[in-house]
Amino acid sequence: MASHSESIIREPLITGKNITYAQITNDVLRPVENMPGKAWWIGFSVASLGACLWVFAVSYTFWYGIGSWGLNKTVGWAWDITGFVWWVGIGHAGTLISAILLLFRQNWRNSINRSAEAMTIFAVICAATYVVSHMGRPWLAYWPLPLPNQFGSIWVNFNSPLVWDVFAISTYFSVSLVFWYTGLLPDLATIRDRATGIRRKIYSVLSFGWTGSVKTWQRFETVCLILAGISTPLVLSVHTIVSMDFATSLEPGWHTTIFPPYFVAGAIFSGFAMVQTLLLVTRKVLGLENYITMFHIEAMNKIILLTGSIVGVAYLTEFFIAYYSGGEYEQYTFLNRFIGPYWWAGCMMYGCNVLMTQLMWFKKIRTNIPISWVLSIVVNIGMWFERFVIIVISLHRDFVPSSWAMFYPTWVDVSVFVGSIGLFFTMFLLFIRVLPSIAMAEVKLILKSSSEQAKKKLIDGGHLEPEQVEYYKESLTSFDSVDITDYQKR
Amino acid sequence: MDSNKKYWKGLEELNKTPEFVELNKHEFAEPIPIEEVLTVGGLEGKSPRRDFLKALGFGVGAVTLAACQKVPVHKSIPYLIKPEEVTPGIPNYYTSTYEGQAILVKTREGRPIKIEGHPNDIIAKGGASAQAQASVLDLYDVNRLKNPLKNGGDSGWAQVDDFVVRELLNIKASGKKIRIVSSTVSSPSTLGVIADFIKQFPAAKHINYDAVSYTGIIQANQNSFGKAVLPHYNFDKADIIVSFGADFLGTWISPEEFTRQYVSNRNNKSLESKKMSRHIQFESGMSLTGSNADVRIPVKPSEEGLALVALYNAISGSTLAGTKAIGNKVAENAITIAAKELVAAKGKALVVAGSNDVATQVLVNAINSLLGSYGTTIDLDNPSLQYAGNDAEFAELVSDMKSGQVDAVFFLNANPAYDYYSSKDFTDGLKKVGLRVSFASNADETSALCNIVAPNHHYLESWGDDNALSGYYTVLQPTINPVYDTRQAEQSLMKWSDIPAKDYYTYVRNNWDKNLLAKGGLSGQSGWETLLQTGFVKAAPVTAGSYTFSKDLNAVAQTIIDHSNLLAGDKTELQLYQTVAMRDGKRANNPWLQELPDPVSKVTWDNFAAMSPSDMKKKGLQDGDVVKIDANGYSIALPVLSQPGQAQGTISVAVGYGRTVVGPVGINVGKNAFPFHSLRNGTLQTSATATLTATGENSPLAQTQTHHSIEGRNSIIKEASFTEYLKNPATGTGKGEGHKEYDKPDLFWQKYDRPAYDWVMAIDLNACTGCGACVVACSAENNVPVVGKDEVRRRREMHWIRIDRYYSFNDNGDGGVTREHEIAKLEDLDHVKVVYQPMLCQHCEHAPCETVCPVLATVHSSEGLNHMAYNRCVGTRYCANNCPYKVRRFNWFNYWNDSRFDNYLNNEHTQLVLNPDVTTRFRGVMEKCSMCIQRIQAGKLKAKIEKRPLKDGDIKMACQQTCSANAIVFGNVNDPESEVSKALRSERTYYVLEELNVKPGVGYQTKIRNISEQEA
Repeated sequence: MASHSESIIREPLITGKNITYAQITNDVLRPVENMPGKAWWIGFSVASLGACLWVFAVSYTFWYGIGSWGLNKTVGWAWDITGFVWWVGIGHAGTLISAILLLFRQNWRNSINRSAEAMTIFAVICAATYVVSHMGRPWLAYWPLPLPNQFGSIWVNFNSPLVWDVFAISTYFSVSLVFWYTGLLPDLATIRDRATGIRRKIYSVLSFGWTGSVKTWQRFETVCLILAGISTPLVLSVHTIVSMDFATSLEPGWHTTIFPPYFVAGAIFSGFAMVQTLLLVTRKVLGLENYITMFHIEAMNKIILLTGSIVGVAYLTEFFIAYYSGGEYEQYTFLNRFIGPYWWAGCMMYGCNVLMTQLMWFKKIRTNIPISWVLSIVVNIGMWFERFVIIVISLHRDFVPSSWAMFYPTWVDVSVFVGSIGLFFTMFLLFIRVLPSIAMAEVKLILKSSSEQAKKKLIDGGHLEPEQVEYYKESLTSFDSVDITDYQKR
Repeated sequence: MDSNKKYWKGLEELNKTPEFVELNKHEFAEPIPIEEVLTVGGLEGKSPRRDFLKALGFGVGAVTLAACQKVPVHKSIPYLIKPEEVTPGIPNYYTSTYEGQAILVKTREGRPIKIEGHPNDIIAKGGASAQAQASVLDLYDVNRLKNPLKNGGDSGWAQVDDFVVRELLNIKASGKKIRIVSSTVSSPSTLGVIADFIKQFPAAKHINYDAVSYTGIIQANQNSFGKAVLPHYNFDKADIIVSFGADFLGTWISPEEFTRQYVSNRNNKSLESKKMSRHIQFESGMSLTGSNADVRIPVKPSEEGLALVALYNAISGSTLAGTKAIGNKVAENAITIAAKELVAAKGKALVVAGSNDVATQVLVNAINSLLGSYGTTIDLDNPSLQYAGNDAEFAELVSDMKSGQVDAVFFLNANPAYDYYSSKDFTDGLKKVGLRVSFASNADETSALCNIVAPNHHYLESWGDDNALSGYYTVLQPTINPVYDTRQAEQSLMKWSDIPAKDYYTYVRNNWDKNLLAKGGLSGQSGWETLLQTGFVKAAPVTAGSYTFSKDLNAVAQTIIDHSNLLAGDKTELQLYQTVAMRDGKRANNPWLQELPDPVSKVTWDNFAAMSPSDMKKKGLQDGDVVKIDANGYSIALPVLSQPGQAQGTISVAVGYGRTVVGPVGINVGKNAFPFHSLRNGTLQTSATATLTATGENSPLAQTQTHHSIEGRNSIIKEASFTEYLKNPATGTGKGEGHKEYDKPDLFWQKYDRPAYDWVMAIDLNACTGCGACVVACSAENNVPVVGKDEVRRRREMHWIRIDRYYSFNDNGDGGVTREHEIAKLEDLDHVKVVYQPMLCQHCEHAPCETVCPVLATVHSSEGLNHMAYNRCVGTRYCANNCPYKVRRFNWFNYWNDSRFDNYLNNEHTQLVLNPDVTTRFRGVMEKCSMCIQRIQAGKLKAKIEKRPLKDGDIKMACQQTCSANAIVFGNVNDPESEVSKALRSERTYYVLEELNVKPGVGYQTKIRNISEQEA
């Protein structure tokens, strides 16, 4: 597509010398076509142990009942729905990156969308497991679906936000899956073409007979655009509806109209943080520094800063409205986040999400990989606490003081949560072994326009404004994948 | 044309070879190697392919056929010969008696499943205590003794009878003493049997021994007026009640009766006639009664006597010798005010004291005499027969036993090895007794020391009668055949003493025919039948005479002051009390009672040391910290509980816990505090001095309420003072004070018609005393699971109705302090006001639970009720989260099929107590108050069968029915003349959290306190 030259003041999206289409294929498929290394095995062992813990803890819950969790008569949701909302939130970055950034022609998304979408799907799977496992009678988990049934005229309650939730999550999951898989087709065909034996057979089935003809590409691009169009509203709708699980209730601390935008911003915030957490490690371990560059890292950090600040404004608004409304229960609920027995959870929420992300205003911090990685984890911790605060702190002291109670998690609560993280990483680690973790075809699209070597050619051509070239060189200094000495010769 | 064609299957057949002919004789040409398989090699033997297939075919066929048998189905077997009066599905009600109170026993298919108050019962007028409600569960206790025991081993009645009769004859010959120890027996027939027994064995004597004794009062009346009786108190005739540590609403003498009387001067009806009694309570620990008082003054046990002396002085205008100041400014002021008010209300005043000390009670008699209470509020001529225990007699028995003079003891409903203060003396003495017989129906501490245990029937299996108040004779009739091989104690005594009547039933009949039926104007068979239907006879009461106290009080005052000096000092003063749920501990194996929260502390499954918050702060103790309590040479370790209102420098400990020989439910629940008693001047004293030592351990208490103040939330609790009420009855409800009208046409809610019925409830906060009988009644009616101590600690009790209890603290005038952070700053946590609020599903018109359920498991009925369809519930718990009243209860586990909850639902036998009209709930399902929907349906059905409209009062909720205070009214608000409509028209009516616009169906009436402005 974009074969024209890009402005020199834009930072390169692909770094490295002598990057060719073949080189990209080789780089990206290295983990898919070779035996895994030690690092992967270690990671996989730990993750699958976590997944086993999850299986055990969830089975234990199914066998004995929800009573094996720490819930009580007052706090009916705690780690379960906290975990659910947390995972759904994390699952937001993928579609945002693949759909909205595609529509806005943000080419830098090409390097990260595959992993982000995969992450989305795995996160939504983790969230969905909570939907089922938090039910008192999980074997009836299909009842909230409006299925024709032999129970008579029993229908679901379309007034219930939980039913909306079922629709929202399942739609989001299926559209994300289709979008992700469609994007995978040309890459699957590439693997097929390079593979032999049984792998070739498998990948040829998976690639749906991709031929690579112009017509195929044209249809591919069209489908991607259509799916992007479909997905875009979903990015907003899913967490809006998740937030309505709370906003439509009576519970002080839940019953707030700001929840939809606030939750969406929070979801994107946590989703990008999780993408950051994963990709900073992946690019190093899989040697993909040339494709996921400092530009990407900084861009994601900027989004984290933006959404983190939106979340911060939402927090302030909530407090103001609680004060301004004059509702004594709501006022108490918000005060209780700081002066109640769970003050430390409130501090974690506000500290991690608002205060820590403000550090991203500094370019030095945005472009520092270890700090970025730590901050991305801090954001995820903070966002977990945000949901914990909203759910548990609101519930544990609501209207009638006689029923105020504390919530203490049991080992099962902790195991289900830790286990779900294990499950997530197990799926992610399997993903990077069998599928290309970077969308090769899409990266190749921008090789000729936005890569470092293309820009270098422009500089070498010598028809550019010197100050613009200087600006460009300046920006490259923060890249860890660029040998800056190449530019100092002249 | 005949064909001569010949068909043949093989050349062998055509040729008829000898081998073929031989083989063809058998059914199968080839031999089947069955023998071989069965004998020689089994399955290892080589079998041809065809045989294998045959065997396989046969096997599969046989297995299929065998599997065609139906899955075993537990069928309820219909009656082969249907008893005339039993119709499956229709309950029968029988009159009977629970501890002297007429009751109705509801039976289904021959099983008693519920105790209900007798509407005409003169004690509680249809109310029943938590203990009475729970007593039905004891019938199904699988730990009851199933047959008589001899020397601890199973035995039969014949052997036991032989042994006892032989022993008794030997003892008769030897002339040694025989003693029958019982808790107070007020049954005329039982007393008759005992008298006849004594006739047979003149060395025998009957001793009434009550674990919690009222000897002090009885003795004091003997000393003062020459009448050794427990008077009958008329709280309904008292305009002012001053109580010194008497918990008359909770545990003192006849709490159900007193509750009814007391509330009659404070309920809506009384308020509307501008009348409300006044109640001042002086006490150490916060009792149920103290928490209901208008003014409550915490005093130490050592100050209680001094306060009484001061009150006497103030009323009489004289000064008793040796009088000394109470040393408690607040109490002194209060005494002055109380004296003034008492004198002003002469003839309509009542002073009571909980003390078991004779001198104290004599002084109380003197005060009441000055106030003219005798003949009005106190009736000595129609006395109460509920307690007749004599502490001195039992002490004498112990010393007799120790000196070897007693050779036979019978224990009837008495367990001194557990509840006697000096159980070691008792057990040492008992060892020297040859024949030790216990009639305990459950193994207890005393029966474990007996050589014969002749288990008594449960009262629901027994014939008998009772006479709790003089002139009030109630009949006890069995409602089920004896479940186990037990025998009624009276029957055993008759058998052993050769009383001529055929059986105890005949004995009771004869007794009634001869002596009792006539008192109610009945006679003969028809009289007896009438009695069994009405349940009691009431003889005309004697006119209550007025009595004047004329004895010298100086010695009495001196005794009181000496006692006070004995207690006063640096040491902590210990006060013993009974909890409303557990009382004296006889029903410790009853899970409903163990899980019933104590009304004040809200603690279940434990006793504890109640301590004032300021003392706890001084000692650096937290709730649940275990302290060792040493007093009277005995010590126990108990967790402490911060109890606002507890007098500083005192602790209160409940008796009735720490049973060591009892069923699995009650064993080692709490610690035994009975040994803290001491015998002084012939009566058991309930106070002592104690030293406390922290053990460093912490044992969290299982409380059902962990936050104790209302946080200034006056849309939940609304209250006013009586003076304010007189000015404006709607004070406190917010009406007419800028109160918003929430009943506007609504955007989100459609208005539905309630064509026939609109069921609602009214709860009068001024009538509710908080006793908790409704909680047990509800559990019994609705099969509510018991979850046990650990689960209550996790805040998972399942009660459908709970009594919220809130404290507010006085802060020098300007109203109550109820906010957590303000309370933390208060110095004085002694002067606390308490309010109780029964809380159950409010059946909101705009129910927040209904909108959020994804599967429509909770929906509204056309009769205004919020239904719960258990079968549809998937257990998301969203409804519970969205319930502002937090009344929904989730089945965290499978309480009726999980061995970890072995309380009552788990056992096939105990399950027989379940109400068959109410389903048990599976795990993962939400439940809550259904407004006894089964009762509503039954009531409507009955009216329909009888072809009449439903009458107001036909349907009563289980909670409403058992409430002695009549605090709960249920009915159809569509009927403007219904009781509930009238109740809700009261100006005091408000709805909890009405600003949420959930439109609750339960209206509350404000709490009114009879306090003067400066006390408010």
